[in-house]
Amino acid sequence: MTRSDAKQAAHHIEVRGLSRTFRTTVRRPGFGGALRSLVNPERVAKHAVSGITFDVAPGELLALLGPNGAGKSTTIKMLTGILTPTSGVARVAGVVPYEDRQRNARNIGAVFGQRTQLWWDLPVRESFSILRDIYEVPRAEHTARLKEFDDLLELSSFWDTRVRHLSLGQRVRCDLAAALLHDPQVVFLDEPTIGMDVVVKEQVREFLRHQVEERGRTVLLTTHDMTEVERLAERVVLINHGRLVLDGTLDEIRRTFGSTWQVRVTPADPHTEVAPLPGIALLRREGPQVVFGPEGPGAPTVHQALKQIVERYELTDLAIDEADLEDVMRAAYVQAGPGADEV
Amino acid sequence: MAVLHAWRAARVTPLGELHSPPRVTAALLRLTVQVVLVASLWRGLYAATGTTGGLGRDQAVTYAVLAVLASRLRELDQYTGRDTVMQHMHYGTIVYWYLRPLPPQRYYALRSLGERLYGLAWALAGYAVCLPAGVVEPPGSAAVAGVFALSLLLGQWVLHYVMLVIDQLCFWTLRNGAALLILVFAQNLLSGVYAPLWFFPHWFVTMSGFLPFQATLSVPLSLYVGRIPLSEAAVQLAVQAAWVVALALFTRLLWRRAARRVISQGG
Repeated sequence: MTRSDAKQAAHHIEVRGLSRTFRTTVRRPGFGGALRSLVNPERVAKHAVSGITFDVAPGELLALLGPNGAGKSTTIKMLTGILTPTSGVARVAGVVPYEDRQRNARNIGAVFGQRTQLWWDLPVRESFSILRDIYEVPRAEHTARLKEFDDLLELSSFWDTRVRHLSLGQRVRCDLAAALLHDPQVVFLDEPTIGMDVVVKEQVREFLRHQVEERGRTVLLTTHDMTEVERLAERVVLINHGRLVLDGTLDEIRRTFGSTWQVRVTPADPHTEVAPLPGIALLRREGPQVVFGPEGPGAPTVHQALKQIVERYELTDLAIDEADLEDVMRAAYVQAGPGADEV
Repeated sequence: MAVLHAWRAARVTPLGELHSPPRVTAALLRLTVQVVLVASLWRGLYAATGTTGGLGRDQAVTYAVLAVLASRLRELDQYTGRDTVMQHMHYGTIVYWYLRPLPPQRYYALRSLGERLYGLAWALAGYAVCLPAGVVEPPGSAAVAGVFALSLLLGQWVLHYVMLVIDQLCFWTLRNGAALLILVFAQNLLSGVYAPLWFFPHWFVTMSGFLPFQATLSVPLSLYVGRIPLSEAAVQLAVQAAWVVALALFTRLLWRRAARRVISQGG
């Protein structure tokens, strides 16, 4: 490690003003539009990520959250070195990933959702062996690590099966093992548990917790599963429309966006036309029940809202739900600024 | 050097084939049927004539059967193994090629080497059956055999790069199915797999000389059957080597440009 690397090691991931702009062709509607696009294409710049800054300390698990299209995957691709940023700087374990892909590759592991890096036609163990050779992992070390992963993820019951015959849960567990076989300091996980059943999800969470707490790996996780966030992450970075909205602990997020409340009421007359009230949104209907929630920055407190609802409607039942993390995140996404700029 | 340790990547496609017995059986059946049909066809064509296009019957049959055997070097089923560049682009798994300490071009080369060695095993097995059965003639001399082996090696090297260019197209077009169909047809036609090139008009042979396909198969097979004499071998080998160098430089340039495309196409 160079002097500069050592200086950076205070943070395993360091992101400063990272931006990425894509130039895309506008597809005009209709046959004529398609022809015009072919002859005279109109190019626009789309800012996928705009000047985000954050750090991740060694041995920390950070959840990078945001709605679909927020820029999470683009950010991860810049940090893994696949994509070069338009501006800004990123360092991962002291390496600028997009300037030195091969050196960076030895420091990181990555799982991209359901996209497997395993060889489809081969038994899983063959994939592990190929990766061992590619990463030049000593055999004894490889065997020991495989045993550790087997203890945690129960791989041995299916690791002689060809990848094409594995279930999703089995395959993702193998992909997690494959991503960590070379003992990377930093791990990027882009929605690793998407589509899994609850039992496998819990097993994967336990595995990740072990990797962070016992092995000291730094993990950057993107997910839409708030249970996963609550169980694994102490700190969250929230991005939306390519911009950083919040960088803080779960408690801080709850304090900032957690004024979210829900009032669940049952109108006395089931045929009552229920409408939103000033600052109060009609979130959904659940059978005879109607669920209200705050709307906009000037939303009333839960007590003010209760007063308004009771004054407006005749009710047979009423309950106040404490906002869970999913509600908090929903509120955060809604309040998180305008859409990505198009130039 | 990760590339030295990563030799197992060369086993990917052959192992995938061996783990699928129906594919091995299908390959065996296809090769047998092709050899029998091609040998019968050329024997039939020569039934009424002794020498055509400067080639006797046994030479023509030898050329055609060797062309069938050599085509096994190219026809492995990457698609079923979800291991084509097009599929990696489609599924977004191409990103993993860029997340490893082994550069994608070296991984591709290793994998291709394994495929060709596996194909060579099939071709040699076929040759070992066809030679004692009298379907193919032995080479004219040890020198011819040596020059043929060298020329076949260079030809496969050229073919590797030609296939690579078609695969690299996927970084821009996402799909290369049509290009691949054209390539296979052009390679079969212009390299003399369908019929030796000396049966085609002079202008056609001259035109195909500007393309790399002759260098892949026509040259080594012509050397084997004696259609190209040993005295002209050096020139032909030099042309093959020139194609290897030119295509290596071209594909290197494409790899560099492809690296900039991987993200926008790879999802």
